[in-house]
Amino acid sequence: MFTLRSRSLGWVVTSHKACRLDLIGFNLTECPVLYARFLPKKMASMEVDEDVAAEATSSSQSVAVESSSQAAGNTSNFTAPTSPAPPAQPATGGGSGSALSDVSPGNSVMASAGTVGSVSVSLHPLVILNISEHWTRQRAQEVTSEVQVLGALIGKQTGRHVEIMNSFELSYDMLDGNIIINREYYTLKEEQYKQVFSDLDLLGWYTTGDTPGPPDLLVHKQICDLLDSPIFLKLNPMARHTDLPVSIYESVLDLVNGVPTLLLVELQYTLATEEAERIGVDHVARMSSHDVQESSIVAENLQAQYSAIKMLASRVRLIAEYVKASQRGEVEFNHEILRQVNALAHRLPVLNSEKFRGEFYNQCNDVALMSYLGTITKCCNTMNRFINRFNLLHERLAMGQSISYPLPVYEEWLGS
Amino acid sequence: MASSSTGEGSSKMNQSQIAQRMWEMANNMEYYNAADEIYQYDRKQQQDILQAKPWEKDPHFFKQIKISALALLKMVMHARSGGTLEVMGLMLGKVDGSMMIVMDSFALPVEGTETRVNAQAQAYEYMTAYVEAAKQVGRQENVIGWYHSHPGYGCWLSGIDVSTQMLNQNYQEPFVAIVIDPIRTISSGKVNIGAFRTYPKGYKPPDEGPSEYQTIPLNKIEDFGVHCKQYYSLDISYFKSSLDKKLLDSLWNKYWVNTLSSSSLITNAEYMTRQIFDLSDKLENSETALGRAGLFGLDPQEKKTEDKLSRVTRDSCKTTMEALHGLMAQVVKDRLFNQIPQAQQKGQEPA
Repeated sequence: MFTLRSRSLGWVVTSHKACRLDLIGFNLTECPVLYARFLPKKMASMEVDEDVAAEATSSSQSVAVESSSQAAGNTSNFTAPTSPAPPAQPATGGGSGSALSDVSPGNSVMASAGTVGSVSVSLHPLVILNISEHWTRQRAQEVTSEVQVLGALIGKQTGRHVEIMNSFELSYDMLDGNIIINREYYTLKEEQYKQVFSDLDLLGWYTTGDTPGPPDLLVHKQICDLLDSPIFLKLNPMARHTDLPVSIYESVLDLVNGVPTLLLVELQYTLATEEAERIGVDHVARMSSHDVQESSIVAENLQAQYSAIKMLASRVRLIAEYVKASQRGEVEFNHEILRQVNALAHRLPVLNSEKFRGEFYNQCNDVALMSYLGTITKCCNTMNRFINRFNLLHERLAMGQSISYPLPVYEEWLGS
Repeated sequence: MASSSTGEGSSKMNQSQIAQRMWEMANNMEYYNAADEIYQYDRKQQQDILQAKPWEKDPHFFKQIKISALALLKMVMHARSGGTLEVMGLMLGKVDGSMMIVMDSFALPVEGTETRVNAQAQAYEYMTAYVEAAKQVGRQENVIGWYHSHPGYGCWLSGIDVSTQMLNQNYQEPFVAIVIDPIRTISSGKVNIGAFRTYPKGYKPPDEGPSEYQTIPLNKIEDFGVHCKQYYSLDISYFKSSLDKKLLDSLWNKYWVNTLSSSSLITNAEYMTRQIFDLSDKLENSETALGRAGLFGLDPQEKKTEDKLSRVTRDSCKTTMEALHGLMAQVVKDRLFNQIPQAQQKGQEPA
């Protein structure tokens, strides 16, 4: 086993200087997997060229030979959890391939659980609304319940972080029940969006539906022609849970029953935030349900904070209930979760050093000063108007003119 | 539909079950939500309306405008991405009675310059190509208006905007002009948007009541004042589809974290500084005006200086209030996360 480890590490260091730092943290058994993934994706920060790729495949081939020649029990422990075996090696795939028998190309297209994605994704809410509108529009026009829409995702990719910022629809034709993407339409749209969003690139594609299946893989392969390693987003409009029904996948080349097939790996994603977007989404989410005009500006402004704090409170209550329930024995005692809860509780107070207090009070004082100035301005204005009116009255009296204005006018003057 | 975002102490299992059952019921009973009807496009009806042209007789024909959630978000994000430069784009939609409906928007590849009248001609090719492509994927609507941004100086039509819009209203009816201010949106926490239609030349509009006051920087006040009577604003309302609503609700489950963690005092610092500079200029102006008028207590002059000073006061009040709002958020967070009494089990990091 030690020989296996030291050898695979050695190949990595000499042939991939750029990604050495990345690999140090990784589980050693994932090295061959890494080669398989880095090859298709041309990353800006890492240059992976052809002969290096060939070396990588040969090295992973040797690793596979080692693993298959060693005791099956030991090595299958290594390969099974991180299932993907070296790519395109039918001869050696037999040994490790047996561990993957649970994934059959006919039924499931997912790589087995435990595979880790190679990029981190952040998703803008605009994309979600885009897809939702596309689907609603299609459904409204076709008036059938089964509607599937297809489109492209664009955004930015820096290193291993992908930010999906926008999307547009794609046109496709149905050929023998398979979806074929219309290439000219895509090139046309690409030209257009390049004019407006010049720094965004094609990142992948989206569709609607439930869990991904073989038809999705077919389309995915077509997109692979346009882009090296596309991201695949699936939104389920008929989802019944209250979580966001959006899943993001990327593809890996795996060995299934000795045949290299494309499988999908689910990626974790976060929601990207931008202040204007957040306000827009807030506004859109809260309006049209009840158009209650708050008469108090303060209340209006605090509404957003209030809703957020309400959510926080409900989550906290949930955790408290859970802890109480496990104390009573109703729920199974889970040390992991309780440890996390404990760690979180210890994080309060979040920030309470002397320096923070000082800065915080400074900020409060600054704002207080601003409001003081504002009040003084208001005061000046009121005084100015009062003095003007007073002078006016005085002058007229002094000049002996009769006060010819009707009383209501005076009241208006004095009152305003 | 019960959304489990207001957890009332019951475990998550029960709530999701309840939500599921209610969703199933709703789904079985009406497979098609009436709210989504607005997404249907009736070509015949639209062509009839275009033939009839009811807006020719009445310059004040369109009184309301409905904007879809998607269009609003797209426009706000596009405006924001321009930073301090003006950006512009077009909107797709249709007409329904005296209401205009905006379904979608798209950006135009033109730079924000002073001569925006020419920019329209430049973008014409892009527009036709885009609308053609859109029709291929099921978006049948036509161009119904244009939007552009006024970063930091409010939603109104400048002189050039007015002439552009008048031109549009002669040749491309029905057309509406929308203005968005992304910077004020962020500073006030509410979307700053206005929809306008111009009156035809020479038309004397009936005197409407004073419109909502807006803070306008000193260098733009003249432009605003000269033209403000040549157009009127439409009432804006928004709509979203049932799927939008569901997605937005579930989005909120993750998004509330960002709401709490945003700090408007920091994001708006630059804008506030500019506002205060502007305020000081305005105060100087009104001071000199006061000095001049101080000798004679003539009515009309007083009215003018009073107006100046009261306008400055209103502007200063607005800036102060925004700063106070920002501080309120900070104090709330401090109270929540920094001040806990001992021996009380609390603590949750936004998950």
